Amino acid sequence: MPAAAATSQTQSEPGASSVRYEGATKRYGNSAKPAVDHLTLEVPAGEICVLVGPSGCGKTTAMRMVNRTVDLTEGNILIGGESVRDREPARLRREIGYVIQQIGLFPHRTIAENIAAVPQLLGWRKERIAARTTELLELIGLDPELGDRYPAQLSGGQQQRVGVARALAADPLVMLMDEPFGAIDPINRERLQNEFLRLQAQVRKTVLFVTHDIDEAIKMGDRIAVMREGGRVAQYATPAEILMSPADGFVEDFVGADRALKRLALMRVSDIDLWEAPLAFVGQATAELRAKLAAPDVEVPYPLLVDGERRPVGWLSERDLAGETVPPRPDSPLGPVIERDDVMRDALADLLQGEAQYAAVVDAERRIAGVLSVEIIAEFLGSPRAKQEERSAVERPHG
Amino acid sequence: MADPSLVAAVGEVGGDFFKERTSETLPCQATDALFCWDWAKDNLDRYGTPTVQHVELVVISVVLGFAIAFGLALLAHRRRWLQPPLLAATGALYTIPSIAFFFLLLPITGRGRDTAIIALSAYTLQIIYRNTVIGLANVPRSVKEAARGMGLTERQVLWKVEVPLARPEIFAGLQIATVSTVAIATLAVFAGGGGLGAPIKAGIDFKTNIIIAGGIAILMAIAFGLALLAAQRLWTPWKRAETA
Repeated sequence: MPAAAATSQTQSEPGASSVRYEGATKRYGNSAKPAVDHLTLEVPAGEICVLVGPSGCGKTTAMRMVNRTVDLTEGNILIGGESVRDREPARLRREIGYVIQQIGLFPHRTIAENIAAVPQLLGWRKERIAARTTELLELIGLDPELGDRYPAQLSGGQQQRVGVARALAADPLVMLMDEPFGAIDPINRERLQNEFLRLQAQVRKTVLFVTHDIDEAIKMGDRIAVMREGGRVAQYATPAEILMSPADGFVEDFVGADRALKRLALMRVSDIDLWEAPLAFVGQATAELRAKLAAPDVEVPYPLLVDGERRPVGWLSERDLAGETVPPRPDSPLGPVIERDDVMRDALADLLQGEAQYAAVVDAERRIAGVLSVEIIAEFLGSPRAKQEERSAVERPHG
Repeated sequence: MADPSLVAAVGEVGGDFFKERTSETLPCQATDALFCWDWAKDNLDRYGTPTVQHVELVVISVVLGFAIAFGLALLAHRRRWLQPPLLAATGALYTIPSIAFFFLLLPITGRGRDTAIIALSAYTLQIIYRNTVIGLANVPRSVKEAARGMGLTERQVLWKVEVPLARPEIFAGLQIATVSTVAIATLAVFAGGGGLGAPIKAGIDFKTNIIIAGGIAILMAIAFGLALLAAQRLWTPWKRAETA
């Protein structure tokens, strides 16, 4: 990377700083093999850079050098053009959000006190801390009343959200996230990933995100640094580039043989045209619905029961339509529900896992937005438009 | 353990406790009844001073023992290599028979309350030290890692995270140490330290006396135990949340 391009992005995002590794090296003891070997890369301000690779590739070490929980042996790391070497570690860390897999909430402090930890260290006034805590609880979608609870009273997913809120509390310039969703079950992990991406769209932090999961890397990263044993970067590029043109055999192997499927992770459900199911309301005349189903252009042959807020309740079967009016409890369950913000890969997985032909797609308020089917995804993958979108994703400068 | 010759050698501490025995009390003693209610009613106030002395012995010894043991535990927490020798040293103190301990100290520190307090606090060291070390060691690594990563200094990690989280174990140690000190302090009389041991020693053959003095000691142990339990609940509110 040419040195001249160094600080071009530094000031572009308020509230975030670029992170630049300059030959950053970590050697433990007198060991000949460094854990991280002359790492040089730049993460532009406001982007998510995922460090991904097999265990022992030095990705966590590389991340931890930024907040000096691991100290550099050689080289340098600049945050917004300022060397971390010149900073006193504790003060530096208060400007950098830190989220770890085990969350590490303080069990003896309430949720609000946990979130207030860094602002307190920085000596904020009480009222400012209280206002910020409430703001963050709302931002991560937790009832502010939960602020008085202790971590043990929250679910794993809620705790991880609080972990993210705590890291964001003092509005850090950079966030470090070390396998933040690694200990969460797959369904909640997907939800937390989506939530974090929504959050990131609002707060626009510079994020260094460590994972060993290439699927997560593709989903979360604006850029991905694929690392290999010995602490070297095999490829640093956008997710699309890495999927379309892996730099070498190592990257190709790491990305896996199912690269075509993985490209689904680059697209969101909101990127494609969904189908429409006839909507049914409780008490509606079934004759009306039967007429809709008989129409020649019907896309989904089953009516979807929704409540007064247009939130899906369940699919209606032949038996449900046998009566005069639509019953309040449908015969068949709702099955998988997909969010519009979900990436296509997760949506397909949900469809297959639910053994469902159709899945309701909902918006952020959980109102019905359309219906997704395996057929739509297959068509989409084969369509020229999909190829078009992939190409533009490759050409996209910063993800 | 109260070998008569030993008792004689120590001297007549509290020996005047029953000096003014009245003639009315004698028949009750003579009948060898388990408990003389009349005598107890008339003489309960005799136990006031020994009880106050006993409370003082316990409180001063435990506070002193806690200060030393807690300091040692913090030291051993920072310098791991100190842990085995400190455990052995406090353990060795703990194994010295209590009466022997008092006599060993007599030539050095002389008769009196100070000698009793030195021995009694020495007995609390082992339990408080060990529990504090365990409590500090039980703090999850992830919590410490997160704390350091957020910018807490080492000192802040210790006082804001590790020590508070070690409170349940520290309190458990304090409870055992306090209750056992209430019991051992009845022997302080042999070092000239007073306390509830004085009436016991003075009237070892009078059952009513033994029951009253022993009963006060038991109630005192229970009271200390409950007070510490209440303090623990107040100081570790998150523990209730965990079990709820």
